[in-house]
Amino acid sequence: MRTRMTRRASAALIAGFAASLGLATLPALAATQLTGAGSTFVYPFFSKAFYTYSQSHSDVTVNYQSIGSGGGIQQFIAKTVDFGASDVPMNSDELKRAGGVVVQVPVALGGVAVTYNLPSSVPGGLRLTREVVSEIYLGKITQWNDPALVKLNPHASLPNIPIVSVHRSDGSGTTYIFSDFLSNVSKEWKDKVGTGKSVQWPGTNTVGGKGNEGVAGQVRQTSGAIGYVELAYAIENKMTTAQIQNKAGKWVSCTESTVRAAAATKPNVSATDFSIVDRSAENAYPISGYSWVFVFENPTDKGRAKLVRDVLSWTTGADAQKIAGTLNYVPLPESVQETAKKALAEVKV
Amino acid sequence: MIAGARLEPGRRYRGLAGVLVTGFCSALAAGLLIVLLGYVIAQGWTAINPSFLTQLPRPVGVTGGGVANGIVGSVIIVGIATLMAMPIGILTGLYLAVYGRGFAAEFIRFLAEVLSGLPSIAIGLFAYTLFVQPFGHFSGFSAAFAFTVLMLPLMVRTSEEAIRGVPIAVREGALALGLPDYGGVLHVVLPAARPLIVTGLLLAIARVTGETAPLLFTAFGSQFWEANPGAPMAELSLQIFTYAISPYDDWHRQAWGGALLLIAAVLVLNIGARLALSRGSKRR
Repeated sequence: MRTRMTRRASAALIAGFAASLGLATLPALAATQLTGAGSTFVYPFFSKAFYTYSQSHSDVTVNYQSIGSGGGIQQFIAKTVDFGASDVPMNSDELKRAGGVVVQVPVALGGVAVTYNLPSSVPGGLRLTREVVSEIYLGKITQWNDPALVKLNPHASLPNIPIVSVHRSDGSGTTYIFSDFLSNVSKEWKDKVGTGKSVQWPGTNTVGGKGNEGVAGQVRQTSGAIGYVELAYAIENKMTTAQIQNKAGKWVSCTESTVRAAAATKPNVSATDFSIVDRSAENAYPISGYSWVFVFENPTDKGRAKLVRDVLSWTTGADAQKIAGTLNYVPLPESVQETAKKALAEVKV
Repeated sequence: MIAGARLEPGRRYRGLAGVLVTGFCSALAAGLLIVLLGYVIAQGWTAINPSFLTQLPRPVGVTGGGVANGIVGSVIIVGIATLMAMPIGILTGLYLAVYGRGFAAEFIRFLAEVLSGLPSIAIGLFAYTLFVQPFGHFSGFSAAFAFTVLMLPLMVRTSEEAIRGVPIAVREGALALGLPDYGGVLHVVLPAARPLIVTGLLLAIARVTGETAPLLFTAFGSQFWEANPGAPMAELSLQIFTYAISPYDDWHRQAWGGALLLIAAVLVLNIGARLALSRGSKRR
């Protein structure tokens, strides 16, 4: 005496399952699927670039997932992905754990914008010196009407409200670039806090947000907040960004041309000498950096490795970098494209 | 109230206050749910159109596209998890209700309870260590395994309760008619408990359908059609997560659309569970 109802239910369940299998197998292609993981910053660029690449190379698809720079390095070390991506090169400890020679390739260039939320808008954008930015994040400048800020922005009506500094709560390449910048401009920051993908934030009036989205959200919701987000993110969301006085004493906004000027000061960027923050060129935006991809120099699966190398060669080349430009990234300088090509040539396939 | 009984006035006010407070809290809980549903519907319905349901995701800067592969991935992953959790869960429940005694049964119950309290991200990491790291690639199957582990305690508990609810006289009657013990359990007790077991199953499916955390390091996600559970797979809730943290308006819109789909699916499962329950009790 089997009850009809449940038999029908289980039959429907199995039928539905089988139907979905059948439906899904139809459009499946015989292409090799490569996987990559890491930096959220490069995700929009990669998604567009790999899509374009597959349209002319029907034998390859690339599945890139943005799990964060730290995660990308971990998964690359665990060998669960074909390549990893991060906004900071792997450090010596991570390289040791990888258990094989790692080839690190610069793949994208971007800036970190300083964004803020004030009750009344500042004509021409808020002006901050490098020292003031570090003192705000050190918790030494705590009010918006602090004399140092008023002196820099005489035409703005700065309110008497506390400054809330917003930072990334997750391990992030953006935080690395920002803290690298602060370490360069402030000895106190360098000694007390240092540089890293996540750091011990010193201020008392500071909050964290996960991802650019989290930081942007905190800044938007909090009157008197200041935070840092990637350039592409700031542009895409039409956020107000501050002008920073660079080492040469010039006021610069975070734009494609000022980030490019910072990158131009170091044509021979490498995985061990990669920092382009606080450069002394006249137009250089002081908070800029590269993103990197990682592959093994002597991979076990040569067939897959060759496909990976070909994809990455194209991605770091002129055509793909033009795509990056349309998505508010800064195309890699030609010398860096050359560096990438040379690095990828080291992969033994 | 008993006719003629007079309550001391303080007690009457306390009673009234109790009704008001509990009523207010219930209204608050229901109101929150309605506001949430309304908000998701308001945000999500503009995203839902035929191409959203049938197409693959498009990269940034190319408008349109959909979450069809995520829907297929969800069905496959949840389907495999259900096929694995169903027999193990029901049979464990059967063992606990009918045969389980003493320390062994208590221990299994205790383990099921502990398992149901584990954070789902920890179960995802467990699946990662067991199936992703050794094989060197992410897979839909590892996600299905994580979901199985999430479903099991629920299935075990509801199955045990369902089978326990069948009066012992029913089983004795089957024995009296000459059925062997296993026959009585299989052909008489289990069918009688079936509506409740199905309800538990549907609720367990609804429980995992909305999970994202265990998928991050198992299913991995994908922009492509993938029906092979041995490879990285797309999954709807994972896609919602990726889209929601992106800086693009079009992706935000699609994330709301995906959330609406998920809520609808869970709602259908819950209604199904209620139907199974009411029909089952009518027959009895």
